[in-house]
Amino acid sequence: MSSSISPQGQINLRSGVIMYPSHQKAIDQQLDELLERTPAYFLMLSDSAGQVVSARGERANINLAALGSLVAGDMAASQEIARLSGAYEDCQLILREGKKLTTFICEAGDSLVLLVQVTPDVPLGWARMVIRDAAASIGTIIATPPEEGEITPRLEIENINLGDFIEGALNELRKG
Amino acid sequence: MYINWQLKQLNLKIVYTGPALSGKTTNLEQIHAQIDPQRRGDLISLKTNEDRTLFFDFLQLELGKICGLTPSIQLYTVPGQTYYEATRKLVLRGADGVVFVADSSPDRIDENIEAWKNQFRHMESLGVDPQRIPLIVQLNKQDLPNAVTTDTMRRSLDLNGSPVIEAVAIKSRGVFESLKTIIHAVILNVQQEIT
Repeated sequence: MSSSISPQGQINLRSGVIMYPSHQKAIDQQLDELLERTPAYFLMLSDSAGQVVSARGERANINLAALGSLVAGDMAASQEIARLSGAYEDCQLILREGKKLTTFICEAGDSLVLLVQVTPDVPLGWARMVIRDAAASIGTIIATPPEEGEITPRLEIENINLGDFIEGALNELRKG
Repeated sequence: MYINWQLKQLNLKIVYTGPALSGKTTNLEQIHAQIDPQRRGDLISLKTNEDRTLFFDFLQLELGKICGLTPSIQLYTVPGQTYYEATRKLVLRGADGVVFVADSSPDRIDENIEAWKNQFRHMESLGVDPQRIPLIVQLNKQDLPNAVTTDTMRRSLDLNGSPVIEAVAIKSRGVFESLKTIIHAVILNVQQEIT
């Protein structure tokens, strides 16, 4: 596989996700609605490699980056378990029921994963239904070409010494 | 790779691979110990009771801006033990760059070769062309008596152009040089991919 540019100017990466402003807006709307409609205690959208896209709700002191990596790992492991045991289906959903919070982790299209936590007063059947709906909508959004006129900026790195820049950035990180 | 043009985010995933006990987790521990706590997250480790990597280790770093984008670098290790082959493959999913941590002990040449071939099999099974992923080799434990030389390792792994960096990760030697080299290669690759 290789990256390519569609007639609409959308870049299709070999792997990973590019979020255009139109995607961001539509997904933000979906997540806001999901938070309210469920209602969810906390929700987070990440890509299947663990990169966090967006989060809503009661975050407290959650380390989102770490949570994204664990959610992606959890989903990847569950997909593989399903595959190995011959139970694989599209739109995998993991349910972890708890006394204080119940956690759903659901595929949202091919490249995104949605985590939603609900309190015990939310009926699980209802939560499962609205989460699946939202996940499907998000999957559709991210697969839609960007709106006309959404220009992809270039990474203007031709004119800088990238080696020096990265060395400087890493040295800066180590100063603390 | 995750790019958000509106928020100017560029998130990249770098995976440390290699045979068991070659020093993959030590690399992340050294980076974690030396980075300004304000600019990195916690080091997350999913370990067995014997303190061996079960699924992965994870660390996120925030670099300064590159031409308007703010790169966030996510570092993962894979479990080196043969038993955890299935989870090793999963961690490689979505990798933008790979650091292969080789063990310089002359007794471990075969394990290095097996892990080296194994990672390519996993990439192919994930539908990823290994030729398109930046990859460097870190020749760790160079302080061992009779440590394997760079030339020997190049021949053993049949390396072509991949950079080889000598290291003693436990003393932090070569750790940041490896990180700098792979980030450089990955960002150049991103530039080629999105233009």
